[in-house]
Amino acid sequence: MRAPLARLLGVLSPAAWLVVVLAIGSSIGVALVRVPPPRGLQFWIFAIQHRPYYLRAVAAWNHRHPDEQVQLTLINGNSLQQRMMSSFFSGTPIADVLEVERTIVGPAFAGPLDQVGFVDLTDRLRRQGLLEAVNAPSFSPWTSRGRIFGIPHDVHPVLLAYRADLVAAAGIDVSHIATWDDYFRVMAPLMQGRDGSVERYLINGWPSDLYTCEILLLQAGGALFDARERPTLNAPANARFIARLATWYTGPHRVARSLDYFSASGHQMLQSGLTVGLLVPDWYVGLILKPEIPGLAGKLKLMPLPAWEPGGRRTSAWGGTMLAIARSSPRPRAAWDFAQYLYLDPAGAIALFRGDGIVTPVKSNWGNPAYDEPDPYFCGQPVGRLFVDEASHVPLRTSSPYNQLAISAFDNCLIDVTAYAARTGRFDPGALVPEAQRLLDAAQAEVRSQIGRNVFLSVQP
Amino acid sequence: MKSSRPHAAWVPWFFLGPFLLGFAIFVAWPLVRAVALSLEQTYGPGVRVFIGLRNFEFLLRDPLFWTAFRNTVVFTLGSLLLQMPAALGLALLLNRPSLRGRHWFRLVFFSPALIGMVFAATLATLVFEKQTGLINYGLHALCRRWDPDFPWLEDYLMTSLLLAALWLYTGFNMVYFLAALQNVPADQLEAASIDGAGRGRRFWHVTLPSILPVGGFVVLLSVAGSFQIFVLPYVMFLRTGGGGPHDRGLTILMYLYKTGFLAGDLGYASAIGWVLTLLLVGLVLLHRRLTRGEEI
Repeated sequence: MRAPLARLLGVLSPAAWLVVVLAIGSSIGVALVRVPPPRGLQFWIFAIQHRPYYLRAVAAWNHRHPDEQVQLTLINGNSLQQRMMSSFFSGTPIADVLEVERTIVGPAFAGPLDQVGFVDLTDRLRRQGLLEAVNAPSFSPWTSRGRIFGIPHDVHPVLLAYRADLVAAAGIDVSHIATWDDYFRVMAPLMQGRDGSVERYLINGWPSDLYTCEILLLQAGGALFDARERPTLNAPANARFIARLATWYTGPHRVARSLDYFSASGHQMLQSGLTVGLLVPDWYVGLILKPEIPGLAGKLKLMPLPAWEPGGRRTSAWGGTMLAIARSSPRPRAAWDFAQYLYLDPAGAIALFRGDGIVTPVKSNWGNPAYDEPDPYFCGQPVGRLFVDEASHVPLRTSSPYNQLAISAFDNCLIDVTAYAARTGRFDPGALVPEAQRLLDAAQAEVRSQIGRNVFLSVQP
Repeated sequence: MKSSRPHAAWVPWFFLGPFLLGFAIFVAWPLVRAVALSLEQTYGPGVRVFIGLRNFEFLLRDPLFWTAFRNTVVFTLGSLLLQMPAALGLALLLNRPSLRGRHWFRLVFFSPALIGMVFAATLATLVFEKQTGLINYGLHALCRRWDPDFPWLEDYLMTSLLLAALWLYTGFNMVYFLAALQNVPADQLEAASIDGAGRGRRFWHVTLPSILPVGGFVVLLSVAGSFQIFVLPYVMFLRTGGGGPHDRGLTILMYLYKTGFLAGDLGYASAIGWVLTLLLVGLVLLHRRLTRGEEI
């Protein structure tokens, strides 16, 4: 009779025993290894462009606050969104302070108000007078059901960059441009090539471009949601806007062409002069144009966006970031102090402008002479001042968790109206309005039905 | 001769135990929970409200779900129509002993299946870029009238997805067909040849019936895989908001992921998951019925 040990060992092959031993050993090892809790305040950011300034700012903070050290971590934007939502849903570890971009914040506001994973800063901001000190529209993307959950990092006003070299060569005077109609009329000679064919277009954009669609919609005074975050896709003003914008993209009066904002091919096309104008927010100037397309230095100038109607708004907003404090943070007081230091400090505001071209939302900083410095890239224009002048006019934006759905549905209508115009040969905006309205009514119903099934939103459509 | 000693009754359970435990914890229980979850609306796992069958009721009239469903069906059918003939054709070609370097070619065609899916999808995205993408650049170089700004990743999402999947999976399916072709009875082929059957008739009457069970299995795998396609479109269409204009690139699993893991509505995501499961079970049953339970 075999010994019990030999019988037991005979149950499995040597290789299988090796696997069992490894499994048990590694499990014990993992159980015994203690992961030290992160030391100090954890600060997550998603934008690599913000990192150089923040490294310096954090080093200065750590020097002054040895007891409240901050640890900066750069995380990919999509990963940050997933880790943020995992934390809100399941309590997985998250930073004390985190920068969140507008397009990824929506899901955080989709549940009950008391389940939003950020600290409600409304009362604190009011007590410290920050609601008045900070540009009011800049709070709107971070406000859900009347409560504010973040300090805005920026304003991101949008201006029109145009090819000053081409304009000067053609002897065009742009000083009287006030509306889009003016702009297209004055710049029209630039479109024609020597053989009479279209050589270049006047503005960057294409029907499926969500960015341009939203920027121009906001500028035109349209909105996808009302103040109570109810969808308003099918407002008559929106239908008129779509009908007009569709004629930019098709027909005999087409003025726009596609030119990708972020790819090498787009940069190449811009540099080669395929479009005269480009919608640019402050961050695009500081983080994309100047560092990535140096060949355009001295060839571009900025002007306020031409208005849709005489006397209308001359700017819009594109993008946005906030600094939020996680509700699960064990050090909310220190996190608040750090957040104020990072976002409200005047020296920081100027460093942000000089480093990234971004205008601070803190109004008291807007008088700083740094904003008046001439910028050789834009033919010596005071770029900072041009953006600051429009900063207080940026439109309000929604924080609805359904904004991405709404803008996609809205843009689909623009695509369809553009195709309808091309198919039927109707290029008069007035003739396109009924079709735009019909499509927007359907889109409104779709978005409403999606919002309507969310039982957690206290505001129902 | 004396038979070996019968095992004690507990021995089979001892060996089955680890699997059964794992299955119960990681498969059976989550499935049961998913049924319960599909009757709730949630905001993450912590906040939930019982809503009965409203998730399923909404699903039936949810245009986004039906768009995702339609896209997935189009992708599945397109994949079958493109990949199966291509895989079989390659297998027939690379099964010819007279072809020099066929082992090398097999590796080349199979190699896309060896690289990570995210990496492959990223490569595909670059290939379909405007101006600088290999396809637009190449087509423009071949034919000057081709627009180098052709918007593959904006207006032709399904076409670009099908082409990317063709590149990725044809070699993988080819291997199955190659294995099947190597089991085609040589004596039958020889007999058919002696009887005067040409190459086409030999293929139609001998080769095809022999590889049909494997073909059916490959089709089933492709259908199941296509219905669960996620990473490839998720990475390729990340820049266009996940689904692109009119959600032309949205698949069922992408919609499930967005609903459950980004919006936190695990209840609705479970409902979508169950509908997908029932669809796949239905397809498997259909496959079994069509093949009359024929074994590979």
